[in-house]
Amino acid sequence: MIEHAYLIPLIPFAASLIMMFGAKEDPHSPVAWIGIGAMTICLGLSVSILAAAAGGQIPLPYEHNWHWFSFAASIGGKSFLYDMPIGVLIDGPAAVLLVVVTLVSLMVQIYSVAYMHEDTRYKRYFAFVSFFTASMLGLVVSSNILVGFMSWELMGLSSYLLIGFWFEKDGPTEAQKKAFMTTKLGDSGLYLALLFIFAKVGSFQITQIHQFINNGYMTGTVATVIAIGILFGAMGKSAQFPLFIWLPDAMEGPTPGSALIHAATMVAAGIFVVARLYFIFLAAPDAMLVAAWIGCITAFMAAAMALVSYDIKRVLAFSTVSQLGFMMCALGVGGYTSGLFHLTTHAFFKALLFLGAGSVIHSVHTNDMRLMGGLSKKMPITFVTMGAAILAIAGIPGTSGYYSKDMILANIYYANQPIFWIMLGTALMTAFYMSRLFILTFWGDDRDHEKHHHAHESPFLITGPLVLLAFLSLVSGYMLNRDDLVYRLLAKPTISAQAPAGHAPVHAEAASADAHAAPALSAAAAEHAEGGAHHEGHLPHWLHLALPFLVLGSIGLAFTLYKGPRYALADGLKSTFAPAFHLLDRRWFLDDAFDLLVVFCDKVAAVAFWIDANVVDRVFVDGWGLLTRVFAEISNLIDALFVDRTVDGFGGLSLDLGVGLRGLVKEGQVQEYLMYVAIAFSLAATLILTR
Amino acid sequence: MNNLRLLLPEAILATLGLVVLLADLFVPVKKARVLYHLAWLSAAGVLLWTALTLGDPSAHGVGSLWSVDPFSQFFKVTTLLTCVLCLLLGLDYKELPEKHAGTFSALMLFSTAGLMYLVSSTNLLMIFVALEVVSISSFILTGFERQNHKSNEGAMKYFLFGAFSSAILVFGISLYYGAAGTVQLAAASAAPGPMLILALVLILLGFAFKASIAPMHFWVPDAYEGAPTPVTTFLSVAPKLATFAALARVFGSIFPLEAYDLTLLFSIMAALTMTIGNFTAMFQTDAKRLLAYSSVAQAGYLLIGLAAGSPLGREGVMLYSFVYVAMNVGAFAVIQAVGSAKGSYDLSAFDGLSKHRLGLALSLMFCLLSLAGIPPLAGFMGKLIIFSSAVQAGHWWLAIVGVVNSVVSVYYYFAIAHRMFFREPADEKAIPVGAYVCGGVALAVVGVLLFGLYPEPLLAGVRASTKILP
Repeated sequence: MIEHAYLIPLIPFAASLIMMFGAKEDPHSPVAWIGIGAMTICLGLSVSILAAAAGGQIPLPYEHNWHWFSFAASIGGKSFLYDMPIGVLIDGPAAVLLVVVTLVSLMVQIYSVAYMHEDTRYKRYFAFVSFFTASMLGLVVSSNILVGFMSWELMGLSSYLLIGFWFEKDGPTEAQKKAFMTTKLGDSGLYLALLFIFAKVGSFQITQIHQFINNGYMTGTVATVIAIGILFGAMGKSAQFPLFIWLPDAMEGPTPGSALIHAATMVAAGIFVVARLYFIFLAAPDAMLVAAWIGCITAFMAAAMALVSYDIKRVLAFSTVSQLGFMMCALGVGGYTSGLFHLTTHAFFKALLFLGAGSVIHSVHTNDMRLMGGLSKKMPITFVTMGAAILAIAGIPGTSGYYSKDMILANIYYANQPIFWIMLGTALMTAFYMSRLFILTFWGDDRDHEKHHHAHESPFLITGPLVLLAFLSLVSGYMLNRDDLVYRLLAKPTISAQAPAGHAPVHAEAASADAHAAPALSAAAAEHAEGGAHHEGHLPHWLHLALPFLVLGSIGLAFTLYKGPRYALADGLKSTFAPAFHLLDRRWFLDDAFDLLVVFCDKVAAVAFWIDANVVDRVFVDGWGLLTRVFAEISNLIDALFVDRTVDGFGGLSLDLGVGLRGLVKEGQVQEYLMYVAIAFSLAATLILTR
Repeated sequence: MNNLRLLLPEAILATLGLVVLLADLFVPVKKARVLYHLAWLSAAGVLLWTALTLGDPSAHGVGSLWSVDPFSQFFKVTTLLTCVLCLLLGLDYKELPEKHAGTFSALMLFSTAGLMYLVSSTNLLMIFVALEVVSISSFILTGFERQNHKSNEGAMKYFLFGAFSSAILVFGISLYYGAAGTVQLAAASAAPGPMLILALVLILLGFAFKASIAPMHFWVPDAYEGAPTPVTTFLSVAPKLATFAALARVFGSIFPLEAYDLTLLFSIMAALTMTIGNFTAMFQTDAKRLLAYSSVAQAGYLLIGLAAGSPLGREGVMLYSFVYVAMNVGAFAVIQAVGSAKGSYDLSAFDGLSKHRLGLALSLMFCLLSLAGIPPLAGFMGKLIIFSSAVQAGHWWLAIVGVVNSVVSVYYYFAIAHRMFFREPADEKAIPVGAYVCGGVALAVVGVLLFGLYPEPLLAGVRASTKILP
């Protein structure tokens, strides 16, 4: 099956084209089933690959390349023809992520059939979703980081389309612009990292870059620069501090689309790219430390914002940001396995949470949790499935989130104590705000009778995916953790750090042999990584035992504060700590900071315009005019003195011509331009001649 | 020694231009469109000839004032291609007076011939004459809509600025003559020193005028806005690329940048051009002005490749030039179709274009995305190679400026795309699209998509034609 892995992104891509251009716009058309069918095939392919890989039938990584194009390049003074291949590279993380992406996308699409059934742009929506998924799958399978970057950009484009899907309203239009430009800003970092990789390594092949580092050719500084560039890209896509401002607004799109963005595509892409090029980070410890701290700050800030928000989707958005912070932090402290493990489990329960929230919103037609409450009786299936997701994200023992988060915390504990304590607090905050969401929405009695009266359970197409995802949220952690499957599938890559080649012949030989084996992740290396990670995969015993109780305590606190229809206790707290609440409500003033930046740029531009209009025009143009007049007076004098009246005819003619021409050229702009040129030339000449 | 036969294609094209002009006298006004057909067919014929002999060594050689090499042939192909496409656009452009069809198409052919001479010349005198042929035809073409005030204003500004830069160029040539004792461009004859450097800088500025490189870009927005759209298209592509070819010949091959300490100047000009172009384009509300500034910015990207001064840089410039023909002509063709139908080139004319004309809207979007350098379109490939050449040459800050500028450019290119797809149309006016515009757009979009997904054929062509004869 694995030799047909290239089909996995191509099938949904073709499906999206067929839906976009081959179908008529009709809210009841069966067009959605084209996308669902395509995704089912992809899911089948992915599952068979993952099953074979997990069972050990096929050796990973699997790589196959085809010729694409070639161009002349020169690296270090040597010119050569560089062959750019296009191909697939399936390693453990890719195999796992393929299943996650296709599964979540399939669930989202089935769910959307019911959710979007009244929308006038029905086919467009499904075409976008398929396109989005196809771009993500392209990033996952590609063996060439350049192709990966293309998919990455296409993903940005599709997120733009999906977030602004309801473009008649102002909110989505603003949100799509914000998301696109913010992630684009991050992309420039990745772009530069790619340029540096190419300039230094001379290849975009992931395995070749890995070998290059294994051979010890890349200096620490270069690796750090490249890693920071990649990290910047990931900060944009995976919504890390300070570029996370776009994600909370991105919920303006259709809710299932948000589920896709928050669980399977887009935000997972940043983490995945960091993991894909993890060997560069391993060669750059400074960049890893930066990643760890950025992840930590992100996780904490987002969790704090989630504590006070009353918009159900916004809480979920903050929680995504926070969980992504966990993953980034894990990768930063060397917890490769745990970070990707959490990416997997998080995809299931976050997709479930968004789809569940969509089901609730669909039923009560509001995002405000203060108007919900008591929905457990009206929507039992949504209630139970959401409950499962809450248990998972809070980290109740036995659920998937418990295994992955525990592993992350353990990794951090052994790597960096200060970060660990912040992250522990954040984990407890997670349990708190998620229970708060759950209580406000489902528990107790209804707060808005009107809305509550109309609430109803969603149809089967919506609840079906919820049930399946709930099942996975509960058991996927256990399944992956059994027999240390996760350590085998998501084995941390190694770099064989050694002296540069040529140091000693024996060493060089060993190095090249090692380099040869390293991309294949020889069994010994994998075992070594496993053994090492194993020890780090467990917290000290007392913490391990205490953690569930702390989580339970935090959930209990949420119950105490928010039970009952008026949650007076929470309101009391809010008025006591008003400034803190305000800070969180305004999202740490980050949006304002970015706004200020924009305003500042505007001001600078305005000042430049003012200088142009007043100083330059006054001084230079009017001065020029004065000069011209002086000359004109002089020449007039000469004219009157020396030139006979016979030229008066010509004079009149040229005057007419002059007036005519002046009408065409507005207010001496041309002279001004020419003067700029003269100034620029003098500067350039001075620059060159004085050197 | 003269090897005059090498310039046969140019000579024939110029002659055909005269034939068109002559035929104008005998063709009745009602059938004036025949002249367009005659013109574009002649250009297409010469194009075919040049393209087919692209790799033919017998067509290459060195003459007294010129050298015909694979490099010059490549840029002749891009020039001729642009000329053919723009003449096709002219066929569907209603604002041009029918009775001047002969003059119009003849002038297009003349300026194309001038550009073909320009890319081959190795002598400053010939460069000057070629540039003047192009400039004077372009002045007239820009002011061709005589009833249109903007057209006249644009032409006037263009003319004043052109005269000024011609003076600069001549001044540079005279200094060069003083330093070298000849107007033949050859490093051996010129004694290095301040005078030569000054001469080179002045010559560079003269070229910068044609290629719309800052600080010689001021004429661009007014001239582009006023000129008839097919002429704008032509001006934004053909002279610019041909001038880059001449720049590559002079400053890449004959006087290498490093040897004369000009790399920094080139880098600064590239950064300045990109930044000015992109940041000013953001504030534009007129589609033609917006694309005018965008074309300034594009010149900046191309200049990076020259500043890198490596073989990869030259390849990048050539690749990007070819791709640039497709994406810019495609974008302008759609803008012409929409602009003439709505009677205004204001950005609001593009509101809801996808509702009526999905094909046009998609084509314009592809071209704009390619200009912005979004993968997997052809513009990305060109930019990637140009930026990598800069990083490899050690000018990583230039690459950073370039990448950041591409981010900025996304903003205004997307403003148009956003209007086309996410706004409701203001009126229900139908947008007629002529067959020739349609063909041109289709060709451009195919190029943009094909060379983005599978650039091998283009790259092979570029690789085969990087050679510059002395």
